Amino acid sequence: MPGRQSRRSVLAAITALPLTGALSACSGNDSASSGSSSKSGTKGTTTITFWSALRGSQEVVDAFNKTHDTIQVAFEQIPSGTSGGYLKLSNAARAGNAPDVATIEYPQVPGYAIDGVARDITDVISDKLKAKLLPQALGLTTFEGRTYSVPLDVEPMVLHYRKDLFDKYGFEVPTTWDEYTDLARAVRRTGGKRRVTFFSTDMGQFSGWCWGAGAHWFDTSKGAWNVSLADAPTRRVSQYWQRLIDEDLVYVSPPNSREADAQVGNGLVLTRHSGAWDAGAQMNARPQQKGLWRIAPQPQWDPAKPALGTQGGSTFAITKDSKHPEAAMEFIEWQVSSPDAIKARLSSGASSQYPAVTELIKEGRAAFDRSYYGGQDIYTLFETEAQKISDGWVWGPRMTATGQVMSDAFARAAAGSGTIESSMRAAQDGTMPDLKALGLKTTQHST
Amino acid sequence: MTATTQVPATAAAPARETDSSRHKAQRAARRRRGGAAGVLMAPFFVLLTLVFLIPVCTAVWLSFFSDDQPGLGFGPERTVFVGLRSYAAVLTDPSFLSGLSTVALYCLIYIPVMTVGSLALALLLDSGLVRLRSWAQLGLFLPHAVPGIIAALIWLYLYTPGISPIIDVLGKADITVNFLGLHTAIPSIVNIAVWSNLGYNMVVFYAALQAVPREVLEASVVDGAGPVRTALQVKAPLVRSSIVMVAMFTLIWALQLFTEPMLLRAGSQVVDARFSPSMYIYDAAFSRNNYSLAAAASVILLIITIAVSYGVTRWTNRVNSAEESTR
Repeated sequence: MPGRQSRRSVLAAITALPLTGALSACSGNDSASSGSSSKSGTKGTTTITFWSALRGSQEVVDAFNKTHDTIQVAFEQIPSGTSGGYLKLSNAARAGNAPDVATIEYPQVPGYAIDGVARDITDVISDKLKAKLLPQALGLTTFEGRTYSVPLDVEPMVLHYRKDLFDKYGFEVPTTWDEYTDLARAVRRTGGKRRVTFFSTDMGQFSGWCWGAGAHWFDTSKGAWNVSLADAPTRRVSQYWQRLIDEDLVYVSPPNSREADAQVGNGLVLTRHSGAWDAGAQMNARPQQKGLWRIAPQPQWDPAKPALGTQGGSTFAITKDSKHPEAAMEFIEWQVSSPDAIKARLSSGASSQYPAVTELIKEGRAAFDRSYYGGQDIYTLFETEAQKISDGWVWGPRMTATGQVMSDAFARAAAGSGTIESSMRAAQDGTMPDLKALGLKTTQHST
Repeated sequence: MTATTQVPATAAAPARETDSSRHKAQRAARRRRGGAAGVLMAPFFVLLTLVFLIPVCTAVWLSFFSDDQPGLGFGPERTVFVGLRSYAAVLTDPSFLSGLSTVALYCLIYIPVMTVGSLALALLLDSGLVRLRSWAQLGLFLPHAVPGIIAALIWLYLYTPGISPIIDVLGKADITVNFLGLHTAIPSIVNIAVWSNLGYNMVVFYAALQAVPREVLEASVVDGAGPVRTALQVKAPLVRSSIVMVAMFTLIWALQLFTEPMLLRAGSQVVDARFSPSMYIYDAAFSRNNYSLAAAASVILLIITIAVSYGVTRWTNRVNSAEESTR
């Protein structure tokens, strides 16, 4: 759609109008949109471009290029989504030079599908690949029966804990949230400056808890976007953490901040809540803590009916600009389902992704270096946990913005204005006008 | 404009003289003058059209249209006329309204501080009390030469706990301040803006003060007015038009608050992504990819700016004429 693109690039300049040229750096682009792919020097070789912020991507691409003759991949490491990666992708798509294959995290898939950045790949994706993927994962990238991206990994929430400190104080690993509260109080009593964990003022962790508690922030089952960011399960989770914060049982830290980093690095927190991938990130970020951490299932509300949400996880989309969707799909299929790909990624020593293609789990188990976790077989744990992921979660059409409002409101709550629950209502109020202005059909029923 | 207003005066005088050649010469001269005015003013109008009228019209047009997809939004897009839908969305968005109230609070602090501060400095310099006047002027003006984005970076450094020497020193004296907290963020931004623009507005006032007739000042001295009284009751009223102008420019600038909070965001989550209307517009366009919404918000901000400026002008005119009639 060349017409739309040119209009959008003009737009970029216009919306900046009262901003005294602050945005003029967004250069306009030719509407003819020459795609991003190009034939490389060797005849018969298709070169496709690939952007990702994922750890170990270079190793995966190298392995692919070594084993393939007709398709070669040009890889570019880009910043992670919220640090500019998504802005880069949106701008490139607007300019008509998005890469053939882009990495999009689950929450952003609906937005990019609606904006037409991620191509409808229903007709390109093979049934064989579809069958291999964990249904909960594929469900997150499929809307109205059309698939928009291919899941790479799916990351159940787990509890990372400091084995050495648990042993020192004689704590047991909690299995329910009530036990977790008791643990938090015990740490507060005996641990000095130590706390059980930190509450991260962003969406990632919190959405995982709410998902596991049975929340449905977005629902599309009735043909409209139903938004209920403060439904009953969410309120329950909000109140739970609000109490821990009010009793000074947890730290409250901005996401990816120096503060949070220091709390983990200096042993001030005994547990971390995050997706399975974080095991690898932890190894990479703090090699000196080797042997101190173990991983356990996340505490449950009702141990008889265990349920989990996910945090993190990525998908690969083919962009609308791609001139070689078939080649791009071949690369994606290899990346998510080939044993060589997961071996290459894990050999980088910085990844502990839990593959969405279940038959790769044994490869992951074999390729993962267990020494950091004192020999613990974390892949087997992940496998058990992945089965508990609740079905039916749907991300919203403007999740980056929704998460932004939520995160800003959490920060204000931490500074003393409002609560976690009021932050969720603020996020709802800040999301609705957006969806309405996009012309989407919306409702706001809460359970 | 001056060229055309002078024409009737010269043309009316020789009305009886029916010398047609003279008329012709006059008409030619008028045409030449008109032509010259046209040539001289053309660049202004070309630029006005290119960088103001066309973008404004496009923004207005955009705000009434949207790329819509039916239902959940996954179908094919088509551009449709949506009337005031985007405006309704902006005006019912609590984050936009809170941005407006933030800027209103900012204006309430910033404009008085700025106007009174720069006028006081200008009066001080004008009073002759200050030694090394040109150095003082240069020193005060220099921050204005620093681009706003650099200024914000400098201040972000001074405001951020852990790296700021100011916070370190205060910390040693057992004073803990959080310059980027819930209630300090706006004053911190005001501080940056005052630091940047104080010198500039002071120069404007100082220039206006130079134009105050010396006889008036001598007369006030003869009448027994001291330096303070001369400054407050003689000089300040005489530069009132400059005060109005400075206040107006400051207001228009303040309504577009963007650079400082955008950068301070790096140091504090309390400054949120939609902190001011301009940041809301930026966020709507580049983070939410919602151009109709961004365009509608831009138009609303433009209307507010025009309305407030018009209101201020009307109000000062009325006050002026009321005062003139009482004299």
